[in-house]
Amino acid sequence: MRIRTAGVVAVLGLALAASGCGDSGSDKPAAGESPKASGGKLVIWADDKRAAALKPFAEEFGKENGVTVEVQAVSKDLQTNFVTASQQGSGPDVVVGAHDWIGNLVQNGSIDPVQLSAEQKAGFNETAVKAVTFNGQLYGVPYATENLALIRNTELAPEAPKTIEDLVAAGKKLKADKKASEILCLQSGQNGDAYHIYPLYTSAGGYLFGTAANGDYDPKDLGVGKPESIAAFQKIAKLGEKGEGALKRSITGENSIITFTGKKCAFLVSGPWAIAEAKKANIKYDISPVPGFAGGKEARPFVGVQAFYVAAKGKNKALAQEFVTNYVSKPELAVALYRAEPRPPALTAAFDQVKGEDPDLAKFSEAGKNGQVLPAIPAMAAIWDPFGKAEAAVIGGADPAKTITAAGKTIQAQIK
Amino acid sequence: MTTIAQTPAARRARGRWFAQVGWRHLVGVLAVLFSLFPILFVISAALNPLGTLSSTELLPTGASLENFTNLFDRTAFGHWFLNSLLLAGVASFASIFLSALAAYAFSRMRFAGRRIGLLTLLLIQMFPQFLAIVAIFLIFTTITDLYPGIGFNTPWGLFLLYMGGALGANTWLMKGFFDTLPKELDESATMDGASHVQVFFRIMLPLVAPILAVTGLLAFIGSINEFIIANVFLTNTESKTLAVGMYGLVAGERNNNFGMFAAGTLLTAIPTVLVFQLLQRYIVSGLTSGAVKG
Amino acid sequence: MNAPLSGPGSATQTPGREPARSGLPRTSRTARHHAPITATGLVAKVVLLGLVAGIAIWAAFPLVEAGHWLGLGVLAATTAGLFYLYLGRRHIPAKYLVPGTLFLLAFQVLPVLFTASTAFTNYGDGHRGSKDDAIVAIQTSSVKQVPGSTEYALTIATTGDPATGDLVFLLSDPKTREAFAGDAGGLRKLDAADVTVSNLSGKVTAADGYTVLTIGQASGRSDAVTALIVPTDGGAIRANGLTRAYEGKAARAYDAGCDCVTDDETGRTWTADEKVGSFVAADGERLTQGWKVNVGWKNFGAVLTDSNISGPFFGTLAWNFAFAIGSTGLTFLLGMAIALALHSPRMRGTNVYRVLLILPYAMPSFAMLLVWRDMFNTDFGLLNNLFGLDVDWFGGTWSARIAVLLVQLWLGYPYMFLVATGALQAIPAELTEATSVDGASPWQSFRAVTLPLLLVALSPLLIASFAFNFNNVNAILFTTEGGPFAPDNPRNGATDLLITYTYRLAFGAQGAEYGLAATVSIFIFAIVATLSAVSFRRTRKQEEVYS
Repeated sequence: MRIRTAGVVAVLGLALAASGCGDSGSDKPAAGESPKASGGKLVIWADDKRAAALKPFAEEFGKENGVTVEVQAVSKDLQTNFVTASQQGSGPDVVVGAHDWIGNLVQNGSIDPVQLSAEQKAGFNETAVKAVTFNGQLYGVPYATENLALIRNTELAPEAPKTIEDLVAAGKKLKADKKASEILCLQSGQNGDAYHIYPLYTSAGGYLFGTAANGDYDPKDLGVGKPESIAAFQKIAKLGEKGEGALKRSITGENSIITFTGKKCAFLVSGPWAIAEAKKANIKYDISPVPGFAGGKEARPFVGVQAFYVAAKGKNKALAQEFVTNYVSKPELAVALYRAEPRPPALTAAFDQVKGEDPDLAKFSEAGKNGQVLPAIPAMAAIWDPFGKAEAAVIGGADPAKTITAAGKTIQAQIK
Repeated sequence: MTTIAQTPAARRARGRWFAQVGWRHLVGVLAVLFSLFPILFVISAALNPLGTLSSTELLPTGASLENFTNLFDRTAFGHWFLNSLLLAGVASFASIFLSALAAYAFSRMRFAGRRIGLLTLLLIQMFPQFLAIVAIFLIFTTITDLYPGIGFNTPWGLFLLYMGGALGANTWLMKGFFDTLPKELDESATMDGASHVQVFFRIMLPLVAPILAVTGLLAFIGSINEFIIANVFLTNTESKTLAVGMYGLVAGERNNNFGMFAAGTLLTAIPTVLVFQLLQRYIVSGLTSGAVKG
Repeated sequence: MNAPLSGPGSATQTPGREPARSGLPRTSRTARHHAPITATGLVAKVVLLGLVAGIAIWAAFPLVEAGHWLGLGVLAATTAGLFYLYLGRRHIPAKYLVPGTLFLLAFQVLPVLFTASTAFTNYGDGHRGSKDDAIVAIQTSSVKQVPGSTEYALTIATTGDPATGDLVFLLSDPKTREAFAGDAGGLRKLDAADVTVSNLSGKVTAADGYTVLTIGQASGRSDAVTALIVPTDGGAIRANGLTRAYEGKAARAYDAGCDCVTDDETGRTWTADEKVGSFVAADGERLTQGWKVNVGWKNFGAVLTDSNISGPFFGTLAWNFAFAIGSTGLTFLLGMAIALALHSPRMRGTNVYRVLLILPYAMPSFAMLLVWRDMFNTDFGLLNNLFGLDVDWFGGTWSARIAVLLVQLWLGYPYMFLVATGALQAIPAELTEATSVDGASPWQSFRAVTLPLLLVALSPLLIASFAFNFNNVNAILFTTEGGPFAPDNPRNGATDLLITYTYRLAFGAQGAEYGLAATVSIFIFAIVATLSAVSFRRTRKQEEVYS
């Protein structure tokens, strides 16, 4: 017994000593040298997927310019952590994220506008430039766009459905013939998914925000809770669990793609990220725009843009600007990023270059042609959660009018 | 005839066996089934080369180690594993030591503010930790500037943070156990001329070995599983812990990486099982020894 | 029956009684009050205090370097305090409490106090920094390129040593190939004979009297590059990265005189409103970037009056208690039941059972929570498929609650099984045998002997488990995320704990609202503290029993 307790103390002492020695030994010189030595350090934060894709190119940039580049992955709450860390001065120099973060990042003074020359700007897809523009300023350099499309298994469904009604009819037939177990794979989950239901919502006549005179979204004109949105959700309810059974809460982000590649449903509403898995599973597929309701409006998916941002409180802002405005905007990098993760590049030159080798790309951008840029205004943050939950409730059979009115009220209360 | 004559007796014997021992095995087997079936699912996913979530059945369909090799080839799993082991090992040792010290004082000594102190320890845990993240950023930004060796992205910084929670988590548990040890043990030792330090190290600590083992195991598992703070604290791929790194595997691509994730989950369980095996005899050998013998 | 447990009995025993397992060296019987200082003790003390001194000295240097005098003061006071405490013979309890308390103060109490103080502010997204931060952000984000101005190719140079000399921007106009030198004094044209301009990049590669920096060198002086602004007639030339420069102008400027921000292009003004921490125009429009201000008791008023927040409060509180008690109680009951079943001298293979049963506890819980979530899926989940059920687990209030508790049961019962086994083995067989001799049924003897003993031994563990589960965020966030939600109330779900509910309040709205979340936390804290204090008072009696 005595030996054991002595051991505990010894280990503890060693640990403390090691921590003390380790610090003074290994870090002291680094702390003393690094700020004065030539060659700065660039720290980039991204989510896991993008961090992995970005790493080789960022390191290449570092080698070319004699600087150290670190790409770090933040797995959860990247945006919140970036804002908090930035505020305290321990954030990165560059962050990579979706363009709908811009409103929040700007209101917290976390990112600076970027200055692209007219020439550089002209090289980007127009929608992408529009997406990263907020209050008349360009806040990020876009590198990829993405939007939803209808992906179908051509063995089960050779024809692209023109309307949702066609799709449901085809899906039901496959189900009756025991060729598939689900009509449609459109992810919802228990708490809904506003992003994936949005094409149907717009086709049924709903909208989120009206547009102000200057073309920006107007947070004062909230479409959720308006009669149009109730009508839209009544249509969606008909597809739900108590109706056609095409929309189900049991289809989630985790299982929708897998159910499709497992040939259990012929139709999948998803984005470019689903293609890799479809290929891996050897599915014969084709891509077409998400169909709308018969006699309804066009189904308009959200168009999202992935972009690089310069942190306002980064330690190495000049280098960050160099990286974001002069390095990221090169077509070679955009092509390379595309190969690491196949999303349509935002640079027109890069897009044209890879278009030839990948027919899916053109089909996705065709599906996103009538898409709507995901609103970047801070008020959008108030939409996701209540809207998604309302969607899930309606799919599960709740009364659309009551549910959407309540969701509208909740959202309204949170928008200031 | 013989069979008929034997059957009632045999049935009675079997019945008695069942009433005394058999039902116990039945309960044991049922409990083992309950314990194992989700784990079976994980094992089957880890061995399934497709490694996807829904393509996985309860029973393994393949036996490929691809997921395990991928885990080491494509991710910094080795680093994560060592980081977690180091952090959890050191943190659990240090934290049981700190809380044993405090528990000894709370149990054996009477001083002003004792009960308030105990209550504070309990209550402070009730404050949501995710809100404190802003303050933690505030503190550690300063620390990182001054002492990069114990700042962000280092295991030592996280270790310090976990030490902040050492008292709150374990002192109560230990104090309760210290209370069950009869007081005359240390009284007579003091009478014999032992100092309070000697009483603590030579008498109390050996006697509370079971609770040290329990809290050590708890602290070890707690550190291995801690995610919320480690996620904001460790952004460098190679300084991450298992919880942070593995969450990253499934955060974006749940399906694609599920096989690797499952493999990682199984590997993560190994150190915990070993620690458990190491400590189990202390735990099983009598948590109530004090209570009963007093 | 409880006699063996009662401490008072033992306290009256003769002081001279031999301790059961004392390995104490008997050095001196006379030293009753002044225990001798042993050599080991002395060495340990010297080593540990030396370590403290070493750490303090190590920590002092960076503080001195940074001129952090307050920090240095705290460090010196702490070190001095530690020396005073451990060199003296008094304050014995403090000697045991201080090590853990120091960490507790620094890394738990301080953050909690800081967080609590934000309850009186509007701290949250859009209002995170100071007013100065907001002004800087407003001005920076309004910088626009002067229309029709030149885009320069930039080379960063110094007048002297690359690491310390004054920075100069060497600019060249890509169209005319004219070169300029720019610094805080303004822009000067350089003689074409003195400079070399690269044909490839259009950049100045050498200039008389200047040292050209490489990108690496320049990035090492990033702050100075960003800070260098070359004034021009139309605005100012700023570096855009390290290879380009542009002439820009801030459209919005802050004027301290009127405490307002004016836009040059439109002529609009926004005046600072210290009550809300924003610049507000006459028509009520606010600038995006605000700052943190004190709002007094406003958040507290909001919590009490906003029916969205206070409405579901008590329902959630009740479920929160049910969840914590249920998680603790069910795991305890199942763990104990299995421990009792396996606790028999005639049982073989208990070790095998034990190792297999403990496995759920060894698996990383966050991973298993995700696995369980998938198993509860209505159509694809293992549970429904395996048992041929069609339960919409997470869709119904009670089925979701049952599901969450079931997951908790799975995760937690092995631990309870383990500690209950430990406790059972320590109960002397004579005690239970004695009751059966008295003619008691197994159930009666369990009720009368085993259970009370178990409860006494395990109650600290049960309290700790309760406290942990009360705030068990992961158990909810990784499974139901608080759902199911009533169709007309997306803010509070059936399985929401107070903490997940606060989490949603803090991060679910239009950006994070830490101030409001901190206020809700204070309310929760107050309620829990009251309840705990009351029940704690009642434990005093119990504590006296066995202390």
